[in-house]
Amino acid sequence: MHIITLALLLGLYLAQPALAHFGAIIPATDIISPADPTELGLEVKFIHPLEQHYMEMAKPKAFGVRVRGEVQNLLPTLLPAKGRSREQPRDFTYWRSTYSVKRPGDYLFFLEPQPYWEPIEDLFIVHYTKVCVNALGLEDSWDQPLGMETEIVPLSRPYGLWTNNLFSGQVLLKGVPAAFAEVEVEYLNASPGNPSLVVPPAAPYVTQVVKADANGVFHYAMPRAGWWGFSALSEADWTLPQAGEQKAVEIGAVIWVRTRDMQ
Amino acid sequence: MPWKCLHLPVILLLALFIFPVSASAHKVNIFAFVEAGVVYAESYFPDGRPIVAGQVSVFDSQGELLLQGETDQDGLFQFPLPKEDVLRLVIDAGMGHKNSYQLKKTASNE
Repeated sequence: MHIITLALLLGLYLAQPALAHFGAIIPATDIISPADPTELGLEVKFIHPLEQHYMEMAKPKAFGVRVRGEVQNLLPTLLPAKGRSREQPRDFTYWRSTYSVKRPGDYLFFLEPQPYWEPIEDLFIVHYTKVCVNALGLEDSWDQPLGMETEIVPLSRPYGLWTNNLFSGQVLLKGVPAAFAEVEVEYLNASPGNPSLVVPPAAPYVTQVVKADANGVFHYAMPRAGWWGFSALSEADWTLPQAGEQKAVEIGAVIWVRTRDMQ
Repeated sequence: MPWKCLHLPVILLLALFIFPVSASAHKVNIFAFVEAGVVYAESYFPDGRPIVAGQVSVFDSQGELLLQGETDQDGLFQFPLPKEDVLRLVIDAGMGHKNSYQLKKTASNE
């Protein structure tokens, strides 16, 4: 009897679609024009973007911005906030920041979170995440890598993208193109201006999956206006201790881009 | 086919009008800030190259022209803050390539 119950439970568990976790930096906008406010709000999260699930997020290890070749530490600007999806029974921590954009240029915001222990996958997750905000028309560094352990370097300029544009990027692992890397793609259902929540007709629609070519280059056409997350996953060549055992670490290179409808 | 040879210079000439210089296909930009009573204006193409010898006009909040000048080899143009006001800097790089930047009064007071 117990074995049958256990088997049933296991079956239910296995039937759950594998949810894709995404580190996220979502700025209030991707482009600052001369007439726009110079205060930029940013949300830093660990989420299931399409399903709007939050995961508890510890204060990141690193959070900053690189502009005109200079790196600024923005960790002290982070303030905790709480959020949850309608299905979640409790609140989870995410982080907010406000950044004052003073000069023209590409602002590359980046995040290195604390390792997140995921018991059902028996591994740690670390998503190195970035997003590029352009200010005042100087498009100077969006295509330059930040030098993170793993990183998606955009081949399409990562702002001013129309809906249905093809987004291309190159996955780097320790600065070297990651051949045939798997890239997960998700739409942020909480995107500002999303007219109605996207309801996936079947589990594979939650997370789109594309593979990079031999040079680590991948492409994906984004069918809806809003924010899109791209996450290239690898296994780290280092481990972390958990309950006396060394556990594998999934490292993700994540980039967020925003599309808008042609009007 | 001698007519082709005759038309080639005409086509090339037309091409010159359609694509005068590659830089003109790019948007021109201007940005400015105030430090110790001096307005520092920077002009640039999207890739960061400076706009050399761009005409800069400075207007007050009433639209009155206060002064004019030209950007240097580095795309820069500086001048003493002419007025405690909202200033509009307009860059004109010719061929209809124009853009402007509004310098807030609060920024002038910094």
